[in-house]
Amino acid sequence: MLHKIFLAAFCIILISSKCFAVEPSEKLIFEKNSLYQYIQVIEDTVKKERYVRNQKKEYTQGGIYVNAPDKLLFEFTQMGFISLAFLDRDPKDVLFVGLGAGAMPKYFTGRYPDTVIDIAEIDPDMLSVAQKYFYFKENERMKVHVADGRLFVKRTKKKYDWIILDAYQNDSIPFHLTTFEFLKEVKSRLKDGGVVVANITSPYRNKFFDSMVMTYKKAFPHVAIFKGKKSANFIFMATTSKNRDKDSVEVRARKIQSSRKFDIDLEDIASRYEPSEAYEWGGAKVLTDDFAPVNLYQYQKSGAQ
Amino acid sequence: MIKFVVFICGAIVMSFEILGSRVLAPNFGSSVFVWGSLISVFLAGLSAGYYLGGRLADVNPSSRKLSLIIIAPGLLFLTFPLYSAPVSDWIFVKDIGVRMSPLIASSVLFLIPSVFLGIVSPYTTKLMICSLHTSGKTIGTLYALSTFGSIIGTLITSFYLITLAGVNALIMGQGVLLIVLAVPLYFMNLSCSIEQTGPAGVRSDNK
Repeated sequence: MLHKIFLAAFCIILISSKCFAVEPSEKLIFEKNSLYQYIQVIEDTVKKERYVRNQKKEYTQGGIYVNAPDKLLFEFTQMGFISLAFLDRDPKDVLFVGLGAGAMPKYFTGRYPDTVIDIAEIDPDMLSVAQKYFYFKENERMKVHVADGRLFVKRTKKKYDWIILDAYQNDSIPFHLTTFEFLKEVKSRLKDGGVVVANITSPYRNKFFDSMVMTYKKAFPHVAIFKGKKSANFIFMATTSKNRDKDSVEVRARKIQSSRKFDIDLEDIASRYEPSEAYEWGGAKVLTDDFAPVNLYQYQKSGAQ
Repeated sequence: MIKFVVFICGAIVMSFEILGSRVLAPNFGSSVFVWGSLISVFLAGLSAGYYLGGRLADVNPSSRKLSLIIIAPGLLFLTFPLYSAPVSDWIFVKDIGVRMSPLIASSVLFLIPSVFLGIVSPYTTKLMICSLHTSGKTIGTLYALSTFGSIIGTLITSFYLITLAGVNALIMGQGVLLIVLAVPLYFMNLSCSIEQTGPAGVRSDNK
Protein backbone atom coordinates (compact mmCIF):
# COMPACT_ATOMS: atom_id res chain seq x y z
CA MET A 1 0.00 0.00 0.00
CA LEU A 2 2.67 2.42 1.08
CA HIS A 3 4.79 1.88 -1.99
CA LYS A 4 1.74 2.48 -4.16
CA ILE A 5 1.37 5.86 -2.57
CA PHE A 6 5.03 6.55 -3.18
CA LEU A 7 4.64 5.48 -6.77
CA ALA A 8 1.65 7.77 -7.20
CA ALA A 9 3.51 10.63 -5.57
CA PHE A 10 6.46 9.97 -7.84
CA CYS A 11 4.21 10.07 -10.90
CA ILE A 12 2.67 13.31 -9.77
CA ILE A 13 6.10 14.83 -9.28
CA LEU A 14 7.11 13.63 -12.75
CA ILE A 15 4.01 15.04 -14.37
CA SER A 16 4.11 18.33 -12.57
CA SER A 17 7.83 18.84 -13.07
CA LYS A 18 7.33 18.28 -16.76
CA CYS A 19 4.99 21.25 -16.91
CA PHE A 20 7.31 23.61 -15.12
CA ALA A 21 10.86 22.60 -15.66
CA VAL A 22 12.94 22.91 -18.72
CA GLU A 23 13.03 20.04 -21.20
CA PRO A 24 16.25 18.00 -21.28
CA SER A 25 17.27 19.68 -24.52
CA GLU A 26 16.56 23.09 -23.12
CA LYS A 27 19.01 25.37 -21.44
CA LEU A 28 18.13 28.29 -19.22
CA ILE A 29 20.15 31.30 -20.31
CA PHE A 30 18.52 34.11 -18.41
CA GLU A 31 15.88 34.61 -15.77
CA LYS A 32 14.59 37.55 -13.85
CA ASN A 33 11.65 38.63 -11.78
CA SER A 34 10.84 41.94 -13.38
CA LEU A 35 8.37 44.49 -12.11
CA TYR A 36 5.57 42.76 -13.97
CA GLN A 37 6.46 39.16 -14.59
CA TYR A 38 8.89 36.32 -14.30
CA ILE A 39 10.98 36.36 -17.46
CA GLN A 40 12.85 33.31 -18.61
CA VAL A 41 15.01 32.99 -21.71
CA ILE A 42 15.39 29.40 -22.80
CA GLU A 43 17.41 27.89 -25.58
CA ASP A 44 16.55 24.57 -27.13
CA THR A 45 19.94 23.20 -28.07
CA VAL A 46 18.53 20.50 -30.34
CA LYS A 47 15.98 22.55 -32.25
CA LYS A 48 18.27 25.58 -32.14
CA GLU A 49 15.48 27.83 -31.00
CA ARG A 50 15.38 30.47 -28.31
CA TYR A 51 12.28 31.46 -26.41
CA VAL A 52 11.12 34.02 -23.91
CA ARG A 53 8.71 32.56 -21.42
CA ASN A 54 6.87 33.13 -18.20
CA GLN A 55 7.80 29.82 -16.67
CA LYS A 56 5.31 27.48 -18.23
CA LYS A 57 6.04 26.05 -21.63
CA GLU A 58 2.57 26.85 -22.92
CA TYR A 59 3.11 30.47 -22.09
CA THR A 60 5.90 31.16 -24.52
CA GLN A 61 5.75 34.83 -25.41
CA GLY A 62 8.03 34.79 -28.41
CA GLY A 63 11.18 33.39 -29.85
CA ILE A 64 13.62 33.02 -32.69
CA TYR A 65 15.66 30.47 -34.60
CA VAL A 66 19.15 30.89 -33.23
CA ASN A 67 20.71 30.45 -36.66
CA ALA A 68 18.12 32.52 -38.49
CA PRO A 69 17.00 35.26 -36.15
CA ASP A 70 15.29 37.14 -38.96
CA LYS A 71 12.78 34.39 -39.63
CA LEU A 72 9.47 34.20 -37.80
CA LEU A 73 9.37 31.20 -35.51
CA PHE A 74 5.85 31.30 -34.16
CA GLU A 75 2.67 30.91 -36.08
CA PHE A 76 0.86 33.80 -34.43
CA THR A 77 3.61 36.22 -35.41
CA GLN A 78 3.34 35.00 -38.99
CA MET A 79 -0.42 35.17 -39.01
CA GLY A 80 -0.47 38.74 -37.75
CA PHE A 81 1.01 39.92 -41.04
CA ILE A 82 -2.12 38.91 -42.92
CA SER A 83 -3.56 42.19 -41.72
CA LEU A 84 -1.34 44.00 -44.23
CA ALA A 85 -3.56 42.48 -46.91
CA PHE A 86 -6.49 44.45 -45.49
CA LEU A 87 -4.71 47.76 -46.09
CA ASP A 88 -5.05 49.30 -49.51
CA ARG A 89 -1.62 50.91 -49.21
CA ASP A 90 1.76 50.44 -47.58
CA PRO A 91 1.59 51.44 -43.93
CA LYS A 92 3.49 54.63 -43.06
CA ASP A 93 2.88 54.66 -39.32
CA VAL A 94 2.59 51.53 -37.24
CA LEU A 95 1.96 50.92 -33.55
CA PHE A 96 2.71 47.72 -31.68
CA VAL A 97 1.18 47.36 -28.23
CA GLY A 98 3.37 44.79 -26.50
CA LEU A 99 6.93 43.96 -27.56
CA GLY A 100 7.46 40.33 -26.61
CA ALA A 101 10.75 39.17 -28.11
CA GLY A 102 10.42 41.90 -30.73
CA ALA A 103 10.18 39.38 -33.57
CA MET A 104 7.24 41.01 -35.35
CA PRO A 105 8.54 44.60 -35.47
CA LYS A 106 12.01 43.32 -36.42
CA TYR A 107 10.61 41.25 -39.26
CA PHE A 108 8.35 44.05 -40.37
CA THR A 109 10.98 46.76 -40.45
CA GLY A 110 13.18 44.45 -42.51
CA ARG A 111 10.53 44.48 -45.22
CA TYR A 112 9.22 47.99 -44.80
CA PRO A 113 12.33 49.99 -43.88
CA ASP A 114 10.66 53.38 -44.47
CA THR A 115 7.78 52.82 -42.08
CA VAL A 116 7.81 54.64 -38.74
CA ILE A 117 7.17 52.20 -35.90
CA ASP A 118 6.15 52.95 -32.32
CA ILE A 119 6.13 50.15 -29.78
CA ALA A 120 4.49 50.45 -26.36
CA GLU A 121 5.85 48.01 -23.78
CA ILE A 122 5.18 48.28 -20.07
CA ASP A 123 8.13 46.23 -18.85
CA PRO A 124 11.61 47.77 -19.26
CA ASP A 125 13.17 44.36 -18.65
CA MET A 126 11.33 42.92 -21.61
CA LEU A 127 13.04 45.50 -23.81
CA SER A 128 16.47 44.58 -22.44
CA VAL A 129 15.74 40.90 -23.03
CA ALA A 130 14.62 41.53 -26.62
CA GLN A 131 17.77 43.53 -27.26
CA LYS A 132 20.18 41.21 -25.55
CA TYR A 133 18.86 37.81 -26.58
CA PHE A 134 16.64 38.36 -29.61
CA TYR A 135 18.63 40.74 -31.78
CA PHE A 136 16.07 43.48 -31.46
CA LYS A 137 17.45 46.94 -32.15
CA GLU A 138 15.76 50.29 -31.98
CA ASN A 139 16.59 52.84 -34.65
CA GLU A 140 15.49 56.33 -35.59
CA ARG A 141 12.34 54.94 -37.20
CA MET A 142 11.56 52.26 -34.67
CA LYS A 143 11.21 53.35 -31.06
CA VAL A 144 10.10 51.52 -27.94
CA HIS A 145 8.12 53.55 -25.42
CA VAL A 146 8.14 52.07 -21.93
CA ALA A 147 4.51 52.71 -21.04
CA ASP A 148 1.23 51.00 -20.32
CA GLY A 149 -0.33 50.25 -23.71
CA ARG A 150 -3.63 51.84 -22.87
CA LEU A 151 -2.00 55.01 -21.61
CA PHE A 152 0.17 55.25 -24.71
CA VAL A 153 -2.87 54.93 -26.95
CA LYS A 154 -4.79 57.51 -24.94
CA ARG A 155 -1.94 60.00 -24.83
CA THR A 156 -0.58 59.81 -28.34
CA LYS A 157 -1.65 62.47 -30.80
CA LYS A 158 -0.46 60.34 -33.70
CA LYS A 159 -2.63 58.28 -36.00
CA TYR A 160 -1.62 54.96 -37.43
CA ASP A 161 -2.28 52.85 -40.51
CA TRP A 162 -1.76 49.62 -38.66
CA ILE A 163 -2.08 48.84 -34.95
CA ILE A 164 -1.00 45.47 -33.56
CA LEU A 165 -2.37 44.49 -30.16
CA ASP A 166 -0.21 41.77 -28.72
CA ALA A 167 0.03 42.47 -25.01
CA TYR A 168 -1.80 39.42 -23.71
CA GLN A 169 -0.02 36.65 -21.92
CA ASN A 170 -1.94 33.48 -21.45
CA ASP A 171 -1.78 33.60 -17.71
CA SER A 172 -2.29 37.30 -17.22
CA ILE A 173 -4.32 39.40 -19.56
CA PRO A 174 -4.55 43.05 -18.55
CA PHE A 175 -8.30 43.63 -18.48
CA HIS A 176 -8.01 47.27 -19.47
CA LEU A 177 -6.59 46.22 -22.83
CA THR A 178 -9.63 44.08 -23.63
CA THR A 179 -12.52 46.44 -23.17
CA PHE A 180 -14.88 48.16 -25.57
CA GLU A 181 -13.66 51.55 -24.32
CA PHE A 182 -10.06 50.58 -25.09
CA LEU A 183 -10.97 49.43 -28.59
CA LYS A 184 -12.76 52.73 -29.19
CA GLU A 185 -9.60 54.57 -28.14
CA VAL A 186 -7.56 52.38 -30.49
CA LYS A 187 -10.03 53.06 -33.27
CA SER A 188 -9.69 56.81 -32.72
CA ARG A 189 -5.93 56.45 -33.36
CA LEU A 190 -6.48 54.84 -36.77
CA LYS A 191 -6.09 56.71 -40.02
CA ASP A 192 -8.79 56.34 -42.63
CA GLY A 193 -8.82 52.78 -43.84
CA GLY A 194 -6.45 51.72 -41.07
CA VAL A 195 -6.56 48.24 -39.56
CA VAL A 196 -6.24 46.72 -36.11
CA VAL A 197 -4.99 43.22 -35.51
CA ALA A 198 -4.98 41.33 -32.24
CA ASN A 199 -3.67 37.95 -31.18
CA ILE A 200 -6.10 36.10 -28.95
CA THR A 201 -5.16 32.76 -27.46
CA SER A 202 -7.91 30.34 -26.59
CA PRO A 203 -6.69 26.78 -26.09
CA TYR A 204 -10.23 25.54 -25.89
CA ARG A 205 -13.05 27.81 -26.73
CA ASN A 206 -13.62 29.80 -23.57
CA LYS A 207 -15.87 32.62 -22.48
CA PHE A 208 -13.06 35.12 -22.89
CA PHE A 209 -12.88 34.28 -26.58
CA ASP A 210 -16.64 34.62 -26.98
CA SER A 211 -16.61 37.98 -25.26
CA MET A 212 -13.68 39.23 -27.32
CA VAL A 213 -15.55 38.43 -30.54
CA MET A 214 -18.58 40.38 -29.37
CA THR A 215 -16.49 43.27 -28.05
CA TYR A 216 -14.59 43.65 -31.33
CA LYS A 217 -17.85 43.33 -33.20
CA LYS A 218 -19.34 46.17 -31.21
CA ALA A 219 -16.29 48.44 -31.63
CA PHE A 220 -15.63 47.81 -35.33
CA PRO A 221 -17.96 47.40 -38.29
CA HIS A 222 -15.91 44.60 -39.86
CA VAL A 223 -14.10 41.82 -38.08
CA ALA A 224 -12.42 38.82 -39.66
CA ILE A 225 -10.86 35.93 -37.78
CA PHE A 226 -7.97 33.64 -38.72
CA LYS A 227 -7.47 30.44 -36.80
CA GLY A 228 -4.05 29.00 -36.08
CA LYS A 229 -3.28 25.54 -37.48
CA LYS A 230 -0.44 24.64 -35.19
CA SER A 231 -1.38 26.78 -32.23
CA ALA A 232 -4.36 27.90 -30.20
CA ASN A 233 -4.07 31.40 -31.56
CA PHE A 234 -6.76 33.38 -33.25
CA ILE A 235 -5.96 36.52 -35.17
CA PHE A 236 -8.67 39.15 -35.00
CA MET A 237 -8.67 41.62 -37.86
CA ALA A 238 -10.74 44.75 -37.50
CA THR A 239 -11.25 47.48 -40.06
CA THR A 240 -13.13 50.72 -39.86
CA SER A 241 -13.97 51.46 -43.45
CA LYS A 242 -14.87 49.11 -46.22
CA ASN A 243 -14.83 45.41 -45.74
CA ARG A 244 -12.53 43.17 -47.72
CA ASP A 245 -13.79 39.79 -48.74
CA LYS A 246 -11.73 36.64 -48.77
CA ASP A 247 -10.90 36.81 -52.48
CA SER A 248 -9.54 40.32 -52.37
CA VAL A 249 -7.51 39.51 -49.26
CA GLU A 250 -6.00 36.51 -51.03
CA VAL A 251 -5.13 38.57 -54.09
CA ARG A 252 -3.59 41.30 -51.99
CA ALA A 253 -1.72 38.76 -49.82
CA ARG A 254 -0.14 37.26 -52.94
CA LYS A 255 0.93 40.69 -54.13
CA ILE A 256 2.52 41.68 -50.81
CA GLN A 257 4.14 38.28 -50.49
CA SER A 258 6.15 38.74 -53.69
CA SER A 259 6.74 42.49 -53.61
CA ARG A 260 7.99 42.54 -50.02
CA LYS A 261 9.68 39.14 -50.15
CA PHE A 262 7.85 37.53 -47.26
CA ASP A 263 9.30 34.11 -46.45
CA ILE A 264 6.04 33.05 -44.79
CA ASP A 265 3.02 31.78 -46.66
CA LEU A 266 0.67 34.75 -46.53
CA GLU A 267 -1.61 33.19 -49.11
CA ASP A 268 -2.11 30.12 -47.00
CA ILE A 269 -2.95 32.30 -44.03
CA ALA A 270 -5.35 34.31 -46.19
CA SER A 271 -7.16 31.12 -47.10
CA ARG A 272 -8.16 30.70 -43.44
CA TYR A 273 -10.19 33.90 -43.57
CA GLU A 274 -13.45 33.59 -41.67
CA PRO A 275 -15.95 36.37 -41.08
CA SER A 276 -16.55 36.97 -37.40
CA GLU A 277 -20.11 35.67 -37.80
CA ALA A 278 -18.65 32.19 -37.70
CA TYR A 279 -17.72 32.76 -34.06
CA GLU A 280 -20.32 35.19 -32.82
CA TRP A 281 -22.46 34.07 -29.97
CA GLY A 282 -25.14 36.43 -28.72
CA GLY A 283 -24.98 35.06 -25.19
CA ALA A 284 -21.46 36.41 -24.65
CA LYS A 285 -21.09 39.67 -22.81
CA VAL A 286 -19.26 42.66 -24.25
CA LEU A 287 -16.31 43.53 -22.02
CA THR A 288 -16.29 47.07 -20.68
CA ASP A 289 -14.19 49.08 -18.24
CA ASP A 290 -16.95 48.45 -15.74
CA PHE A 291 -17.36 44.74 -16.38
CA ALA A 292 -14.44 42.64 -17.57
CA PRO A 293 -13.90 39.38 -15.65
CA VAL A 294 -11.13 38.42 -18.07
CA ASN A 295 -9.18 36.04 -15.87
CA LEU A 296 -12.23 34.11 -14.76
CA TYR A 297 -13.66 33.93 -18.28
CA GLN A 298 -10.45 32.30 -19.48
CA TYR A 299 -11.20 29.31 -17.31
CA GLN A 300 -14.85 29.04 -18.16
CA LYS A 301 -16.00 27.04 -21.12
CA SER A 302 -17.76 28.85 -23.90
CA GLY A 303 -21.52 28.76 -23.70
CA ALA A 304 -21.75 28.67 -27.49
CA GLN A 305 -21.55 24.92 -27.98
CA MET B 1 -24.17 43.40 16.15
CA ILE B 2 -21.01 45.50 16.59
CA LYS B 3 -18.87 42.48 15.84
CA PHE B 4 -20.80 42.03 12.63
CA VAL B 5 -20.24 45.70 11.75
CA VAL B 6 -16.50 45.29 12.31
CA PHE B 7 -16.43 42.23 10.10
CA ILE B 8 -18.36 43.89 7.28
CA CYS B 9 -16.28 47.07 7.43
CA GLY B 10 -13.12 44.97 7.26
CA ALA B 11 -14.51 43.16 4.23
CA ILE B 12 -15.55 46.36 2.49
CA VAL B 13 -12.16 48.06 2.88
CA MET B 14 -10.37 45.32 0.96
CA SER B 15 -13.15 44.72 -1.51
CA PHE B 16 -13.06 48.44 -2.31
CA GLU B 17 -9.30 48.27 -2.74
CA ILE B 18 -9.57 45.42 -5.25
CA LEU B 19 -12.26 47.30 -7.14
CA GLY B 20 -10.14 50.44 -6.91
CA SER B 21 -7.51 48.84 -9.12
CA ARG B 22 -10.21 48.38 -11.74
CA VAL B 23 -11.36 51.95 -11.38
CA LEU B 24 -7.84 53.27 -11.98
CA ALA B 25 -6.73 51.03 -14.85
CA PRO B 26 -8.56 52.72 -17.76
CA ASN B 27 -6.92 56.08 -17.09
CA PHE B 28 -3.73 55.18 -15.27
CA GLY B 29 -2.93 51.67 -16.41
CA SER B 30 -1.85 48.81 -14.20
CA SER B 31 1.78 49.72 -13.67
CA VAL B 32 3.52 49.26 -10.30
CA PHE B 33 2.94 52.96 -9.72
CA VAL B 34 -0.79 52.38 -9.78
CA TRP B 35 -0.60 49.51 -7.31
CA GLY B 36 1.80 51.44 -5.11
CA SER B 37 -0.48 54.48 -5.07
CA LEU B 38 -3.56 52.45 -4.39
CA ILE B 39 -2.16 50.47 -1.49
CA SER B 40 -0.46 53.43 0.18
CA VAL B 41 -3.55 55.61 -0.06
CA PHE B 42 -5.66 52.92 1.61
CA LEU B 43 -3.09 52.49 4.35
CA ALA B 44 -2.83 56.26 4.82
CA GLY B 45 -6.62 56.45 5.09
CA LEU B 46 -6.75 53.64 7.60
CA SER B 47 -3.98 55.01 9.79
CA ALA B 48 -5.57 58.46 9.81
CA GLY B 49 -8.87 56.77 10.62
CA TYR B 50 -7.37 54.79 13.49
CA TYR B 51 -5.91 57.96 14.96
CA LEU B 52 -9.08 59.98 14.61
CA GLY B 53 -11.23 57.09 15.70
CA GLY B 54 -9.25 56.72 18.89
CA ARG B 55 -9.76 60.36 19.76
CA LEU B 56 -13.45 60.33 18.85
CA ALA B 57 -13.94 57.22 20.94
CA ASP B 58 -12.89 59.09 24.04
CA VAL B 59 -15.74 61.59 23.70
CA ASN B 60 -19.04 59.96 24.70
CA PRO B 61 -18.91 57.03 22.30
CA SER B 62 -22.27 55.64 21.23
CA SER B 63 -23.61 53.27 18.63
CA ARG B 64 -25.65 56.17 17.27
CA LYS B 65 -22.46 58.06 16.43
CA LEU B 66 -20.99 54.84 15.02
CA SER B 67 -23.91 54.60 12.66
CA LEU B 68 -23.17 58.10 11.35
CA ILE B 69 -19.51 57.15 10.87
CA ILE B 70 -20.63 54.21 8.73
CA ILE B 71 -23.25 56.13 6.78
CA ALA B 72 -20.65 58.62 5.51
CA PRO B 73 -18.65 56.13 3.38
CA GLY B 74 -21.95 54.44 2.52
CA LEU B 75 -23.16 57.61 0.84
CA LEU B 76 -19.80 58.12 -0.88
CA PHE B 77 -20.00 54.59 -2.29
CA LEU B 78 -23.59 54.99 -3.36
CA THR B 79 -22.72 58.08 -5.38
CA PHE B 80 -19.33 56.77 -6.53
CA PRO B 81 -20.23 56.42 -10.25
CA LEU B 82 -21.26 60.07 -10.32
CA TYR B 83 -17.82 61.42 -9.50
CA SER B 84 -15.32 58.64 -10.21
CA ALA B 85 -15.20 58.96 -14.01
CA PRO B 86 -15.12 62.78 -14.11
CA VAL B 87 -12.38 62.90 -11.45
CA SER B 88 -10.28 60.24 -13.23
CA ASP B 89 -10.73 61.88 -16.61
CA TRP B 90 -9.80 65.26 -15.22
CA ILE B 91 -6.59 63.98 -13.61
CA PHE B 92 -5.76 62.07 -16.79
CA VAL B 93 -6.05 65.25 -18.84
CA LYS B 94 -3.95 67.23 -16.35
CA ASP B 95 -1.23 64.59 -16.76
CA ILE B 96 0.94 65.21 -13.73
CA GLY B 97 3.25 62.27 -14.32
CA VAL B 98 3.12 58.48 -14.24
CA ARG B 99 3.53 58.43 -10.46
CA MET B 100 1.62 61.50 -9.36
CA SER B 101 -1.45 60.94 -11.55
CA PRO B 102 -2.50 57.62 -9.98
CA LEU B 103 -1.44 58.84 -6.53
CA ILE B 104 -3.62 61.93 -6.72
CA ALA B 105 -6.50 60.00 -8.27
CA SER B 106 -6.33 57.36 -5.54
CA SER B 107 -6.25 60.04 -2.87
CA VAL B 108 -9.29 61.82 -4.23
CA LEU B 109 -11.31 58.66 -4.82
CA PHE B 110 -10.30 56.35 -1.99
CA LEU B 111 -8.81 58.31 0.90
CA ILE B 112 -11.95 59.66 2.58
CA PRO B 113 -13.91 56.38 2.61
CA SER B 114 -10.90 54.54 4.02
CA VAL B 115 -10.48 57.16 6.77
CA PHE B 116 -14.08 56.54 7.86
CA LEU B 117 -13.69 52.78 7.67
CA GLY B 118 -10.50 53.13 9.70
CA ILE B 119 -12.36 55.06 12.42
CA VAL B 120 -14.64 52.06 12.89
CA SER B 121 -11.92 49.87 14.43
CA PRO B 122 -10.89 51.89 17.52
CA TYR B 123 -14.39 53.26 17.92
CA THR B 124 -16.03 49.86 18.11
CA THR B 125 -13.25 48.64 20.37
CA LYS B 126 -14.09 51.36 22.85
CA LEU B 127 -17.78 50.48 22.63
CA MET B 128 -17.11 46.81 23.23
CA ILE B 129 -14.67 47.07 26.10
CA CYS B 130 -16.70 46.40 29.21
CA SER B 131 -13.94 45.64 31.58
CA LEU B 132 -10.25 46.30 31.70
CA HIS B 133 -9.74 42.71 32.79
CA THR B 134 -11.08 41.34 29.53
CA SER B 135 -10.09 44.25 27.30
CA GLY B 136 -7.27 42.20 25.74
CA LYS B 137 -9.71 39.54 24.67
CA THR B 138 -12.13 42.11 23.29
CA ILE B 139 -9.44 43.94 21.33
CA GLY B 140 -8.01 40.70 20.00
CA THR B 141 -11.42 39.45 18.90
CA LEU B 142 -12.22 42.66 17.06
CA TYR B 143 -8.82 42.78 15.32
CA ALA B 144 -9.29 39.21 14.22
CA LEU B 145 -12.81 39.82 12.98
CA SER B 146 -11.78 42.90 11.06
CA THR B 147 -8.89 41.17 9.35
CA PHE B 148 -10.90 38.02 8.74
CA GLY B 149 -13.51 40.25 7.10
CA SER B 150 -10.79 41.72 4.93
CA ILE B 151 -9.73 38.26 3.77
CA ILE B 152 -13.28 37.33 2.90
CA GLY B 153 -13.83 40.67 1.17
CA THR B 154 -10.70 40.25 -0.93
CA LEU B 155 -11.45 36.68 -1.93
CA ILE B 156 -15.12 37.08 -2.67
CA THR B 157 -14.54 40.21 -4.71
CA SER B 158 -11.65 38.94 -6.79
CA PHE B 159 -12.92 35.39 -7.18
CA TYR B 160 -16.63 35.90 -7.70
CA LEU B 161 -18.15 39.36 -7.49
CA ILE B 162 -16.17 40.70 -10.43
CA THR B 163 -17.78 38.09 -12.68
CA LEU B 164 -21.24 38.84 -11.39
CA ALA B 165 -21.57 42.58 -11.78
CA GLY B 166 -19.87 45.73 -12.93
CA VAL B 167 -17.40 47.59 -10.76
CA ASN B 168 -19.72 50.56 -10.26
CA ALA B 169 -22.63 48.36 -9.30
CA LEU B 170 -20.47 46.52 -6.76
CA ILE B 171 -19.25 49.73 -5.14
CA MET B 172 -22.82 51.01 -4.95
CA GLY B 173 -23.80 47.68 -3.44
CA GLN B 174 -21.21 48.20 -0.72
CA GLY B 175 -22.77 51.60 -0.07
CA VAL B 176 -26.18 50.02 0.31
CA LEU B 177 -24.77 47.41 2.68
CA LEU B 178 -23.18 50.06 4.90
CA ILE B 179 -26.36 52.11 5.03
CA VAL B 180 -28.47 49.05 5.78
CA LEU B 181 -26.12 48.29 8.68
CA ALA B 182 -26.09 51.86 9.91
CA VAL B 183 -29.84 52.34 10.17
CA PRO B 184 -30.56 49.80 12.95
CA LEU B 185 -27.34 50.83 14.65
CA TYR B 186 -28.70 54.34 14.92
CA PHE B 187 -31.64 53.17 17.02
CA MET B 188 -29.72 50.78 19.21
CA ASN B 189 -27.84 51.46 22.36
CA LEU B 190 -24.89 49.14 22.34
CA SER B 191 -22.38 51.08 24.33
CA CYS B 192 -20.71 49.47 27.29
CA SER B 193 -18.44 51.72 29.26
CA ILE B 194 -16.06 50.82 32.01
CA GLU B 195 -17.47 51.19 35.46
CA GLN B 196 -15.64 53.86 37.34
CA THR B 197 -16.82 52.70 40.74
CA GLY B 198 -15.98 49.62 42.67
CA PRO B 199 -12.75 48.62 44.34
CA ALA B 200 -9.79 47.72 42.21
CA GLY B 201 -9.76 44.15 41.02
CA VAL B 202 -13.53 43.73 41.07
CA ARG B 203 -14.91 42.80 37.71
CA SER B 204 -17.58 44.99 36.32
CA ASP B 205 -19.87 42.74 34.36
CA ASN B 206 -22.33 44.70 32.40
CA LYS B 207 -22.05 43.07 29.04
